[in-house]
Amino acid sequence: MAELVRAYGRGLAAVFAGLTAVWLVLMVALPMANMTKRAFTLEIRDGPSAQMRVELERARQQIAVIDFDIAAAETEIARGSAPAAAPSPSDPFAGLTGRASPGMAAPSPGGGGAEPPEARIERLRAERAEAVAAIPAMAAEVERLRAGEDARAGLSVENFTTMSPLHWRVFGLTFLYCVAVTTIALVVCYPVAYAVAQAQGTGRAGLLLLGLVVPYAINELLRIFAWTMILANNGILNGALDALGVIDLEGGETIRWLASNGSVFAVMVYAYVLFMVFPIYNAIETLERAQIEAARDLGASVWRIHRRVVIPHAKPGIAVGCIMTFMLSAGSISVPGLVGPGLHPDWFSQIIYRNFFEAANWNVGSARALMLLILSTAFIIGVMRAFGVGVKEIAK
Amino acid sequence: MTAAADVPAPVPARAGAAAGSGGVDWAQVALNAYIVVFMLYLFLPLALMALAAFNANDTPSVTDWRGFTLDWFTGRTDEAGEVVVRGLPQETRFLEGLMRSVGIALGVIALAIPLGLAAALVLSRLGAASGSFLYTLLVSPILTPGIVLGVSTMTLWRDAFGVEAGPLTVVVAHSSFIASYCMLMFMARLQRLDPALEEAALDLGASNLFAFRRVTLPFLWPTIATASVVAFLQSFENYNTTFFAIGSSFTLVTEIGSRMRFGLSPTINAIGVLFIVLTVAAAAVWVLLRRRQG
Repeated sequence: MAELVRAYGRGLAAVFAGLTAVWLVLMVALPMANMTKRAFTLEIRDGPSAQMRVELERARQQIAVIDFDIAAAETEIARGSAPAAAPSPSDPFAGLTGRASPGMAAPSPGGGGAEPPEARIERLRAERAEAVAAIPAMAAEVERLRAGEDARAGLSVENFTTMSPLHWRVFGLTFLYCVAVTTIALVVCYPVAYAVAQAQGTGRAGLLLLGLVVPYAINELLRIFAWTMILANNGILNGALDALGVIDLEGGETIRWLASNGSVFAVMVYAYVLFMVFPIYNAIETLERAQIEAARDLGASVWRIHRRVVIPHAKPGIAVGCIMTFMLSAGSISVPGLVGPGLHPDWFSQIIYRNFFEAANWNVGSARALMLLILSTAFIIGVMRAFGVGVKEIAK
Repeated sequence: MTAAADVPAPVPARAGAAAGSGGVDWAQVALNAYIVVFMLYLFLPLALMALAAFNANDTPSVTDWRGFTLDWFTGRTDEAGEVVVRGLPQETRFLEGLMRSVGIALGVIALAIPLGLAAALVLSRLGAASGSFLYTLLVSPILTPGIVLGVSTMTLWRDAFGVEAGPLTVVVAHSSFIASYCMLMFMARLQRLDPALEEAALDLGASNLFAFRRVTLPFLWPTIATASVVAFLQSFENYNTTFFAIGSSFTLVTEIGSRMRFGLSPTINAIGVLFIVLTVAAAAVWVLLRRRQG
């Protein structure tokens, strides 16, 4: 700290330290702390506050429906109120209104025909004002009930212990899948990284590197889209097989490529291949080419050269590549969600998604996300230990 | 695209190999063949995606070819003005998402560059022990799975500040890890900064602020530019973090994702073509610039 002040003066040093602190606390530490807290807090799901929240939601929907009706009535007026000419646009909404708010007097089924639109707008506006006025009290009630429930809900490990055996299985399988993706990516990428590093110094290396980077400047989602297009039931792969006479598309014969783990693996390797190639390439690039030539001159086989010379040298790069690929595949919702929808069992990331957005149980979702983080961190630490690399090397 | 797939022609046989065996270097031949296959694996899907954008078939395909069309780019309306084919001009959500993606990426640049730079400067002046601990903490977002970053940022901002998930939380979530990349780039650059330069400025009576502005910053400008480009691209193409932190709003990428759930549309292929053209053009400019320098 004293160094920093000496180099940049008090004012600038304070700015730099302050910015670093903001990043560290607000964007790294607090989100994790909050997620952990939620993970260890049992949420009371169907208490009175939840019921009240449903009421509140219903009231908000009702307002939206009334707005819709008002707009419909206004267009009717704008069209010179000719309900006979055009079917009254308010009809379907009138039905909706009745369904969305059972307590409210449903508009007469005749809709625009029975009541002039001006009068209807008047009535709808009054209803809307009434509904809007009721909302703050309901929201306050939700908060009050929830505060009471929060006070009762203490720290608990129940979010973890109540996980179903199926989800535990998915958790284990996701680990295996990610290891599989990492292994495949390593096997696929090692020769590529070696070849590019070997071509180094020639103009070809630049082109090869460019060839590797260009697909990556194109969006991840578009890369995935390209593959779903190929693998879809009526997609290119099945089309090609049909043309070859292997299957008969017209006859309804399709091979279901999507929603299989093989496809998810292939696309995931495709999506994250660069993160494996580049670290290994960077490592091999620093290897003296004379070392390989010396080994060859001394009669070492290709296999032996790699095992004894290249791979030991590339070790840090291999470690980093494996870490990045594993972490990316564990944290990917895009590939399992888009290539493998309907895949059973899911990937763990899809379970996290469902807890947040379908079950709306954020605390259970946080617990699952924390588990994924722990899994990924454990893998990273394991690989770092096994390969004897530190955090400094990862940063390259 | 297909031209690029031809790139990996045989690597010239090295002198050592020729001297050793005298015959054909089969390992090298196999390696070259493998690179060709690998490049096909990289580029063929993109080439097929681009090709299908010009097929009049309304499911993206190249095997079921129904004639060349530009409708997916331009859309088509009949004489009465009714839309017959929904192309890019009709799909206004893509444009809206694009604008939002760009806005978010610019926000990420504005946030992540100062954070990364400040942290790099702090780390460059810290002792080994405290420095390496802080360093580990600040690099950790890079090693955190994307969905965890999205989830944790979204929940924190709602719980602590009452901010619902949206573009703002996405900017914060992206910056949390993109700032780490920026920090690493700045650290690499700062290692090459001669501390004597800053000291000389101070000795000659420059104020700290003046020395920073006139010595340190100019030295860092090229890295600020590169880091901005990296930050922009990283933010723009990110899906996994964005998906969790965007809430009910959407960006170009999440919009493409939600379309894909309901079946594939060739308008996405059209977007893909635009991306490919942009990328290849940028790559070509980069190569030309390097040629001129070299």
